[in-house]
Amino acid sequence: MQAQAEDGPVDWEGALVQRAAAGDTRAFERLYREHSGRVYGLCLRLTRDAHLAEDCTQDTFINAWKALPNFQTRSSLSTWLHRIAVNVSLGKRRKASPVLEAPAEDGVELRGGWALETPVEVEELEGAIGALPDGARDALVLHALYGYSHGEAAQMLGIAEGTCKAQLHRARKLLRERLNMEVN
Amino acid sequence: MSGPEERKVRSLSELSAAIEPPRDLWPEIEARLKSAAGAAAPPAARARVAQLRWLAAAAMVASVAVGVWIGRDLGPLGARVTAPPAATSLTGMSEGAAVDAAYVSDPRYRHERAQLLKSLQAQLDAMPEPARAKVTASLASIETAKKDLESALGKDPSNALLQELLINTYQDEMRVLTDVHEASDPGRGI
Repeated sequence: MQAQAEDGPVDWEGALVQRAAAGDTRAFERLYREHSGRVYGLCLRLTRDAHLAEDCTQDTFINAWKALPNFQTRSSLSTWLHRIAVNVSLGKRRKASPVLEAPAEDGVELRGGWALETPVEVEELEGAIGALPDGARDALVLHALYGYSHGEAAQMLGIAEGTCKAQLHRARKLLRERLNMEVN
Repeated sequence: MSGPEERKVRSLSELSAAIEPPRDLWPEIEARLKSAAGAAAPPAARARVAQLRWLAAAAMVASVAVGVWIGRDLGPLGARVTAPPAATSLTGMSEGAAVDAAYVSDPRYRHERAQLLKSLQAQLDAMPEPARAKVTASLASIETAKKDLESALGKDPSNALLQELLINTYQDEMRVLTDVHEASDPGRGI
């Protein structure tokens, strides 16, 4: 499965990357505007904390700015940013309070993440994803929401592909159980 | 299992991957980039400035070296070995390459440099081959540094470091020209 970000070439992006790599912050801001939603969404789903997700999003773009000259323009900027976001989020999650590290199967909700106008079904689903244990949620988010293959997701998470598949299976099972519980 | 919960699980891919941050994070990102100033500049830009700094330093070293060389190598001009006809071309010296830095556009500087350049070829012709080679290499090194710095300033005109390096390089060039001129003056030999 291809990452969603790789759907369709974005001609202007390469030029913006080159300008940003040369030190043009305005070009980098345009890249931020284009990608911040998906990066923040990823950080929020991995950390389950809106404030931490904001920090992770900022760090992702700061790290990207520093590493931009090493970025190969043939690859997807979106995928590259997501790799950085995953690294930053997992690192911050490990350093964060033990409350966040604990398995969240029994109803730990996302803190401050969703707007009131979010459709109930989406909110329910996001809540169920947020309640998954870290490892299962990581695999599910990268594979099912962001469209990365098992191999890509495993590489981003620094785990074996088999482990990633197992985590995904576990995530789907837990998700069904939780949604079934809510339906009933 | 094929109930509504299964349908929801299957609809995971329909969830939007993007969630807009609750506030604009760019101002803080930009402030962090600026607060780190040079340190936060992309390595390519930092490497370019570092490269130019080395180039300017090399030009300065070359100018100092040529002064020492001339002092060591040249006696009074009259006693010098007759040099072969000029093989050195000074067409590489870019008279019109000066940027609008105050130092460079100063009429006294421009006049003095023009005078030194005018007599340079004759002075080089009168030099022993090793000294001429040394001076020519030094001036070529300075010329390269000037062109690269001017080119970099064209892209980043407000860069104070580049401006300073360029002025230093012009000063190095004047030092070499002056050294050559004084070494060629029988009354003033170094």
